[in-house]
Amino acid sequence: MSLGEAKRARARMSRTERKNTLVAYSFLAPNFLGFAVFTLVPVICAIALSFFEWNGGDISRLKFVGFENYATIFNVKKVSQNGLAYLFNRVDLGIALKNTVFYTVITVPLTIVCSLALALLLNKIKGAVAYRTIFFFPYVASMVAICVCWSFMLMKDGPVNQLIQAFGIPFNKSWTADSTMAMWSIILVSVWRNMGYYMVIYLAALQGVPRELLEAATVDGAGKWKQFTSVTLPQLRPTTFFVSVMMIISCFKIYDVVAIMTDGGPGRSTKMLVTYIYDEAFVKVRYGQASAISMILLVIVLAVTLIQFRSEKRFSND
Amino acid sequence: MEKTIRQREIRKDNKTAQAIVRALIYIILTALAAFTLIPFVWMISSSLKLDREVFSYPMKWIPETFRWENYSLIWQKVPLLTYFKNTAFIAIVVTFLQTLTSSFAAYAFAKLNFRGRDTLFVCYIATIAVPWQAYMLPQFIMMRSMGLYDTLWAMVVLQAFSAFGVFLMRQFYRGIPTELCEAARIDGLNEYGIWARIMLPLSKAAIATLVIFTFVNTWNDYMGPMIYLTRDVNKTVQVGLRRFIQENSSDYHLIMAASLCSLLPVSIVFLCLQKYFIEGIATSGIKG
Amino acid sequence: MKKMLSALLAVMMMASLLALPALAEDQVLKVVTWDATTTPYLIAQKEAYEASHPGVTIEYIDVASQDYGIKTTTMLSGGDKSDVFMVKEIDDIIKWQAQGFAEPLNAYVEKTGYDLSGFVGTEKNYCVEDELYAVPFRSDFWVLYYNKDLFDATGEAYPTNDMTWDAYADLAIKMTGNGNYGTHYHTWLSAVANWTVADGVNTLADKNYDDLLYFYQLYQKLEDAGACMSYADLKAAGLHYSAAFANGNIAMMPMGYWYVSTLIGYNKDGTCNFNWGITAVPHADGVKAGSSFGNLTGSMINSKSENKDLAWDYISWLGGEEGAAATASVGARPAFVSENVAAAMASVDGFPADETSKGALIPSFVGMEWPVAEKVADIKTIVNEEHSLIMAREITPEEGIEEMNERVAELFE
Repeated sequence: MSLGEAKRARARMSRTERKNTLVAYSFLAPNFLGFAVFTLVPVICAIALSFFEWNGGDISRLKFVGFENYATIFNVKKVSQNGLAYLFNRVDLGIALKNTVFYTVITVPLTIVCSLALALLLNKIKGAVAYRTIFFFPYVASMVAICVCWSFMLMKDGPVNQLIQAFGIPFNKSWTADSTMAMWSIILVSVWRNMGYYMVIYLAALQGVPRELLEAATVDGAGKWKQFTSVTLPQLRPTTFFVSVMMIISCFKIYDVVAIMTDGGPGRSTKMLVTYIYDEAFVKVRYGQASAISMILLVIVLAVTLIQFRSEKRFSND
Repeated sequence: MEKTIRQREIRKDNKTAQAIVRALIYIILTALAAFTLIPFVWMISSSLKLDREVFSYPMKWIPETFRWENYSLIWQKVPLLTYFKNTAFIAIVVTFLQTLTSSFAAYAFAKLNFRGRDTLFVCYIATIAVPWQAYMLPQFIMMRSMGLYDTLWAMVVLQAFSAFGVFLMRQFYRGIPTELCEAARIDGLNEYGIWARIMLPLSKAAIATLVIFTFVNTWNDYMGPMIYLTRDVNKTVQVGLRRFIQENSSDYHLIMAASLCSLLPVSIVFLCLQKYFIEGIATSGIKG
Repeated sequence: MKKMLSALLAVMMMASLLALPALAEDQVLKVVTWDATTTPYLIAQKEAYEASHPGVTIEYIDVASQDYGIKTTTMLSGGDKSDVFMVKEIDDIIKWQAQGFAEPLNAYVEKTGYDLSGFVGTEKNYCVEDELYAVPFRSDFWVLYYNKDLFDATGEAYPTNDMTWDAYADLAIKMTGNGNYGTHYHTWLSAVANWTVADGVNTLADKNYDDLLYFYQLYQKLEDAGACMSYADLKAAGLHYSAAFANGNIAMMPMGYWYVSTLIGYNKDGTCNFNWGITAVPHADGVKAGSSFGNLTGSMINSKSENKDLAWDYISWLGGEEGAAATASVGARPAFVSENVAAAMASVDGFPADETSKGALIPSFVGMEWPVAEKVADIKTIVNEEHSLIMAREITPEEGIEEMNERVAELFE
């Protein structure tokens, strides 16, 4: 290959590449324009705000403070004196972080298992329509009504406690008024509400599992379980990636269930990152600090997503 | 000879085993369904009670007298019909725009190679990670300056271009074999043709999913309409529901009744679309 | 009294004269408030103002009460031009002043010769460095409601306007039984422990919470005796105090004055049909009988309003005698205090006719539920968090109070 030829080939390449990019951008444009204007720009503003002091008044009142907001929310002064335990036991941010991570770590796997199990049970079965609709109901109903119902279900002499007592466990306290059970009541309501939602995604994804693959596995003498682990699960990987990313994000952003059911209490036992952000932004009107807390949330979620993104790529290259 | 009898027996055993398994599945499903429905039963019962009966203690599952008039009261006490119309308008327009633009953008992210693809995609995901409460104020100031405050279009532009839809569709498109696209390219189809003739028909289940989610989320959104819609003629159902909770009193019986009414349209959308979950790739005759 | 009245009338005439040129053509005044369609005093105020000011229409911008803070903050930050914002919590006005949203009012007071004496000093809560930023129009203090029928049935004497907390507790225990509760505490801090500010010395922002101990112990004693529903149950069920008392099995309940108009309404529409009365809240030993605490509701002019003179006319009218009469006509308690207003309150159709109830209308002292103080929003969060732990019996009152002292002190380090 002569030098000229190589050059020409490269030129041709970059021309097709440029054309490809142009085509790709034309696909992206309608969504991206709206997304950029109404979401991306405000988000960038919020990132910038975390370095400013602003109480919500005219924009002229913005004051650049560097990392001061971050120092305040971490209470760096006290934490450096008293050690890291202080951060997680006394400082609002530490407590909110601890609670949110605990909630997420329990809720995400629990919801994935429940929703996948439901989807598998309901895939190609008689009467599935009715069941599917029932399981999707909780997601459709309005949040206030649901949370009020559940608070009542979880009362001292409510049906849930009666059920528990029927199994011989002597539990006799209102869930939402108890420091340890309050968190579990939030987890319970979240799983109950969201499992139907993710079930739908899994159901849709299950339709994409080629029947031929499953049949081939059966011919090879694979049992149901083997079929599931060696064919269905790998085929569902992009969906599981999507579901887990979305769920981690939404768990980190948990707000309304907490706001309606426990309001962060008792004490600070269900204080979450977003309830904390809400409080800082709209009760104490310290937008700078509220933005700084959101940045911590952003960094955590982004880190988790990138790790999952990596592993998704690795699997798809296999 | 002996062998075939044994095989037949095994098959018979298998059949009874299968029947047992199936029965078990139904039992589990029914138990779970009951668990799912209990709060709704209480919701229905509360919606037929007097206000002070709702929280009477110990709890009553059956109201003393069935107050069916609660269901007519909610339409008189607040202009619920207007709220339903507004919500339906927003939900339909948002769902249409969201599905169209996301499936378009998702195709680029899933099946095209171009510079900056991954960075851009991470940008999309990153914005999902930022809680709305954090960037609500800059967004509000911007929308106001565009004259969109207190218009239904504010809710439309706010929700129609969410990153969620793009992400969902991208994941589904990734599951569709790339060989299909390449074959189509060789056949002389351009990218738009591939999107329209191959991707769209293959992603019926995904589109149904996105339509359901967008519709439900828009229908049930509370914070957005609460902030952006002010005049009564513009309010949505969820905002209207909270009008039954006042500073010094709350009509939970009416909230339950109105919530149950607002459940209907969304359930209908779900019922109509869910048949697409059972027709997927496998039945369109595409080999994996 | 008469003198004051005539002076006021003169002022009002002057004010309306001054405002006249601006009122020449039809004008709309946008007023941001909550629960506008169902709150009786808002309806009465609008009717009265529009009747006395032809050509002016009040347009309420209705915000759900639980979202009032976030929605108004967003509106104001976004440059909303609505003329008047009602002030729900006292510290709202401090926030809005700091953000530059509240129009300073001293110049208007001077220009129109507005008389503030009717507010008996409560307007000071809306001042920042001696500049007035809002005019109060409603002042709710806490009273004790009781169910006369239950007392008649047991033969116990009705509670009086001069009763100590200990006597009240004894009475509550006596009234308990047969499915009846002696008293009822709503889950709020204000219903249980806010009484400490009734002495005029303590406030909830004074960084020392030892004085709350007595009230938490009193509460726990009553809860242990079964004389009130437990906090945990109330919290979980979200039971509203209005429904609880209306159920008819609660003998007494300390609650804000606003509940009077709710009860009158309940009597009218048949939701409940027992007889009830009010007394002053009990007092601690050494504190004057009739002392209570309360909260203010007022209105401010948006600094971005394009119709400030009319807005001033409206908020000064609302706070003044005429507005007070409209407010009182439906059983709400105006901030403007005068004998006329008290008489108007007592003559509201459905208000209990006994002398004790009438006597409860003029408290001897009203402390502020939450004072205007530095970092009061942060203090509020802390005190409420510890309150919920004490009430749910996760920690003892002593432990909770120690935590309050410690955490509040940390705020000021």
